Amino acid sequence: MVECLTGKKILIKGNYAIANAAVLAGCQCYFGYPITPQSEIGEFMSGKMQELGRSYVSAESELAAINMTIGACATGAKAMSSSSSCAIALMQEALSYAASDELPVVLVSVMRGGPGLGNIYSSQGDYFQTTKGGGNGDYKLIALAPSTVQECVDLTYKAFYLAHKYKNPTVLLADGLLGQMMAPVEFKPYPYPEIDNSEWALTGAKGRNSRIIRSYAPLADEQCVFLEKLFNKYKQIEENETEWEEIGTEDADIVLVSFGSTFRNIKTAAKICRQKGLKVGVFRPITLYPFPHKRLNELADRVKKIISVEVNMGQMINDIKLSVDGKVPVELIHKPVGAPPAPEDIAAQVEELA
Amino acid sequence: MEKDFIIAGFGGQGVLLAGEVLANGFMIDDKMVTWYPSYGAEMRGGTVNCSVVMADEDVSAVQKSQADYIIVLNQASFDKYTSWVRKGGTIIVNSSLANIKKVRDDINYVFVPITQMAQEKLGNIKMSNVLALGILSKVSKLITLSTLEKALKNVIHPHRMNLMPKNIEALKLGYEYDLLPILG
Repeated sequence: MVECLTGKKILIKGNYAIANAAVLAGCQCYFGYPITPQSEIGEFMSGKMQELGRSYVSAESELAAINMTIGACATGAKAMSSSSSCAIALMQEALSYAASDELPVVLVSVMRGGPGLGNIYSSQGDYFQTTKGGGNGDYKLIALAPSTVQECVDLTYKAFYLAHKYKNPTVLLADGLLGQMMAPVEFKPYPYPEIDNSEWALTGAKGRNSRIIRSYAPLADEQCVFLEKLFNKYKQIEENETEWEEIGTEDADIVLVSFGSTFRNIKTAAKICRQKGLKVGVFRPITLYPFPHKRLNELADRVKKIISVEVNMGQMINDIKLSVDGKVPVELIHKPVGAPPAPEDIAAQVEELA
Repeated sequence: MEKDFIIAGFGGQGVLLAGEVLANGFMIDDKMVTWYPSYGAEMRGGTVNCSVVMADEDVSAVQKSQADYIIVLNQASFDKYTSWVRKGGTIIVNSSLANIKKVRDDINYVFVPITQMAQEKLGNIKMSNVLALGILSKVSKLITLSTLEKALKNVIHPHRMNLMPKNIEALKLGYEYDLLPILG
């Protein structure tokens, strides 16, 4: 299979790109259970991790995989799991625990059609699942959404960094299109500093006091203190890590917003609209949590309309509405599942909505 | 400039691999390129396809419903993809496994007995996919044989490099096939 080389452009599938990037990021343990459309990640890891003397476990279920990841992360290891939609659903309890335990779990989520078993075609239907969570209690997952295969690499690196920097579970939210497509990619060396975890990792208590990582605070006050601390961390994440991309928004009357693989299509749609004399810009949240609320709110001061373009029934549009707080109308252009709407179709709908 | 390609046929005819070689070639030529497979409940003997988009700037969309060049290696793909050819575009048809029949007059048809040539001249029908790329190189003028050779080296597994000479032969055979009577 593919090599862990750096510095050379290669044509590679998104799934392999993610897996190779995880290896280059120093991932020591991978736990997973196969599911389309992300099975190539586990396939790659099954060979490469062994070759490098790292750990690979083909778990008996997704529940096992994510809980193994929690266990490995508790020792301070760089550990990850990957899965898709209906199987990520099975992991929600563990993600709530990982957030509460403040463990640097990295989870790759390659979206397919839902709800339920749904189908294996590409989708963006797990925006809510990722950003609003299905686990209990007040918690947040850092969520990064790549829009190209190159970004599958760059944001996998970043996911490991942010997870360890903030001791917070972090999701790389890709989709079937990104996972299955190939594009030229360059693997640069992992660009982030290693994070010291010697203060908290469970590494054996010889010569020091024992440590406990738990998500249980039996006294009401204790839990209040913990949640305040946790949310101070989230505030820092929101201040420091919110990331987005925007093109042509300076003079735009209408701004199209997409995340992930759909961004390519709205960029093209915006060009078509510009040729027709409509001033259209594009905006893409790179971090879905933290969401670029502030920037969208600023844009709402000078644009006339914002349109969310998604491959689902309309999920991110709710966060956009929160961002703009009623300043401008927010519309939806979408497809329920499958390929992102064609640029020409988006452009035609923008014209109607303009 | 942006050009769209689809390669389609039976599972097992090597259409995904041919697409990978083509996409690697465009990468070698410093073009922007994407490759996307049909995936899902596919099986050997069923139909399979992949699409490749080549562009000077960013690829406008990965999945499209039209293409400039379509290679069809069997009848089912010929039937399905004829309507997908963009006006003025070209369909390259494996006439060994599809009937020679023109139903549109706004596209170019290139009928080549690909499987038969692979069997008779190369002794291996598995060479059909690479032979088809040679034809595409000639017809489209968008990628050279030498680029495709380099691309093959990227795609063929290091353990299988002994297959390179035969593949290069297949490319040439496709390229040198006399298209004049077809294109008129």
